[in-house]
Amino acid sequence: MNLPSISASVWEALALGLATGPICLASCGPVVVPWMLILPNGWRVRSHQLTVFLAARLMGYLLFACVAWWAGSAIPHAWSGRAWAFGCVQLLLAIALLTYAIGWPKTRSCAAESGRRLVQIGVAPQPGRTGAATLGFLTGINLCPPFLVAGVRASQLGSLPAALVFFVLFFAGTAVWFAPFLALGFVQRNPAIATVARIAAALLACYYGFLGASTLIARIIYV
Amino acid sequence: MSSHPSTLERPPAFRRIGKSILLTLPILLWSLLMFSRAFFQPRLDLRLASVVVMLFMTALFFLMMRTGTTYRWRRYFFVALGLLFPVGFIADLIAVRGTMSIPIERMVSGDTPFCYMVIPMLVIPAALTRSIIFPGSILPTASNPHSIAIMIGLWLALTLVLGKAWCSYACFFGGIEEGFAAVAKKPKIRRIDPRFRLVPWAILLAIVLLSAALFEPVYCMWLCPFKAVTEYPAVRSVQTAIQMVIFVVLFIGLVIVLPLLTKKRTQCAFFCPFGAFQSLFNKINIFEIRIDREKCIDCAACRNACPTMAISKESVQAGNTLLGCMKCGACVDVCKNHAAVWHVKGTAVGPSSERSRLLFLYGAWAMATMFGGSVLANSVSHLLHFAM
Repeated sequence: MNLPSISASVWEALALGLATGPICLASCGPVVVPWMLILPNGWRVRSHQLTVFLAARLMGYLLFACVAWWAGSAIPHAWSGRAWAFGCVQLLLAIALLTYAIGWPKTRSCAAESGRRLVQIGVAPQPGRTGAATLGFLTGINLCPPFLVAGVRASQLGSLPAALVFFVLFFAGTAVWFAPFLALGFVQRNPAIATVARIAAALLACYYGFLGASTLIARIIYV
Repeated sequence: MSSHPSTLERPPAFRRIGKSILLTLPILLWSLLMFSRAFFQPRLDLRLASVVVMLFMTALFFLMMRTGTTYRWRRYFFVALGLLFPVGFIADLIAVRGTMSIPIERMVSGDTPFCYMVIPMLVIPAALTRSIIFPGSILPTASNPHSIAIMIGLWLALTLVLGKAWCSYACFFGGIEEGFAAVAKKPKIRRIDPRFRLVPWAILLAIVLLSAALFEPVYCMWLCPFKAVTEYPAVRSVQTAIQMVIFVVLFIGLVIVLPLLTKKRTQCAFFCPFGAFQSLFNKINIFEIRIDREKCIDCAACRNACPTMAISKESVQAGNTLLGCMKCGACVDVCKNHAAVWHVKGTAVGPSSERSRLLFLYGAWAMATMFGGSVLANSVSHLLHFAM
C-alpha cells in the first residue's frame, strides 16, 4: 500500500468508528449499563473497569480482524460455523450477565456485615478484572452492524497488519462514545439502583440465553 | 391486618346537594363538549352510548363531590374502562381486519395502532438516529387515526399536569386487574417482599436498552400481558408462538390470579415499565399525597389500602408517599384521622386538602372523560349495536 492509501484508510477507519459509534453504544448498552450500575461506586473503580472492558473489547476486535482478513468477506455470509459462533457468544454473554446478577462481585468486610455503616478496616475489596475483561471480549466479538461493515472493509485490505491497524483505529473511533458511561455513577447514589441493575442484568441474561439457545437449536434442527 | 377502602372508608362528610351540583357543573359542561360530536352522528347506538357515558362520568364526579371520597367512584369508572376497552378494541379490529392478530404486512405498511406503552422505548433510538421504532404512522391516516404524534402529544400534556395519575385515570389496562383485585373480600397473600417494587424499574431499564440495541419495541414483542386481550403478532413461527404463550401466561398470572390473591394491582405495581417511567413525572408534578405526621397514629391502614404498595413505613415517617403513587385516593379515603391528605406542592399540608383534591380532580376527571370516556362510548356503542 502506498502512503496516500494508508492515510485514506486511517481516516476511513476513524471516521467509520466515530460515525457508527452510536450504534455500537446501543448494541453494547444492554451489557454495559447494568454492569456499570452494579459496580461499586467511585470514579476510580469505574474508570479502571471501563478501561479493562475496552481493552478486552479491543482484543476481541483484533481477533475478529485476523479471522476476517484470513477468510475474506465470505465469513459473515457463508461460513457454516457462523450460527455456532453467534449462539455460543450469546450464551456466554448470558452466563456473564447472570453471574453479575446473582451477586458478583461480592464485597467483604471483617468489621461488619455488608450494608452496615461501621468502621471499614483497610481498603474495601475492589472488583477484579476478569468480569470486565470477559464482558469486553464477548461484546468485542459480537456481530453488530458497524462491526460487520468494518469487518468487510478490513477483509479487502492488502495485508493482515493493515487489517489490524484498521480495526484499532475503528475501535478508537467507537471507544469515544463509551466515555459517557462513566457518568452512570451519578445515578448510583441511590442504593436501590444496584438492585434494579441486578434484576435488569438477570432479565437481559434471559434474553441473550434465549437468543443463543434458539440459534443453536435452529442450527441443530435445520442443518 | 389488611383493609380495603371499599370496606373501611372514613365517615363521609356529605356536601349539600346544591353545592355538589355546582361543583359538578364544569365536568358536565366538559362532558357535553367531549361528546357533542357524537350527538349528531347518524348511528343511534353511538348517540345513546355517548349519552350513557356522559351521564355515567358526570354522576361519578357528582358522587365524589357529595361524599368527599374519591377511590370508590374512580374505581367504578376505571374497572368499566378496563373491562370495556378490549370489547371496543377487538370489535374494531374484527371490523377492519377480520382478526385480532396483526400480520407482518400490516406492520410494514404502518397500520399498527400506537400504544403509549411504547413511549419509553422510543426515546434513545429517536435521540441517536432520529427514527421511531414503531410500525405505525407519525401523522394520522385514514386507516389509522391514532397516530404516534397525537398520542405522544396528548400523553405529554396530560402527564406534565397530572404525573402518575395517568395510571389511575387514563390507562386502558389497569382497570382489569383493579376489577379482579376488588373481587375477593380479603387477600390470601398478605406478605409481599417490598423489593418487588423495583422490578418495573429493572424491566424499564432492560427494555429501553434492548429496544435501542435491536431497534424494535421489545416490550410489545415479548412482555406485554395485554396483548392477550388486544392485538398480537400473527402466529406464523415458533418465535411468535412463544411470544403468544408469554403474553397469555403474564396476563393470567399478573392481571387475574395475583390481583385475586393479593388485592393489589400486581401488574402495575410489580411489572409495568411504563408505570415506572410515569413515576419519574411525579417529581415535577404539583399534585401529591402527603401524610400529616401530627395526625398519623401509624395504624398502617393507608399502607394496606394502597393498591400498588406505594406507601412504606419509612415514607409515612417522612410524611410522603413513594415515587410510584398513582393518586388514586385509596389512602386518603381510608384514613380515619385525616392524616393522609391531597396536597399541592408549595402549600401548607392539611388546611387546603379539599381544595387541592378539587384542583387535582378537575384535571384528572377531565382527562378521564376525554380519554377513557371516548373509549367507553365506543365500546358501549358496539354492545348496543349487537343488542339492537
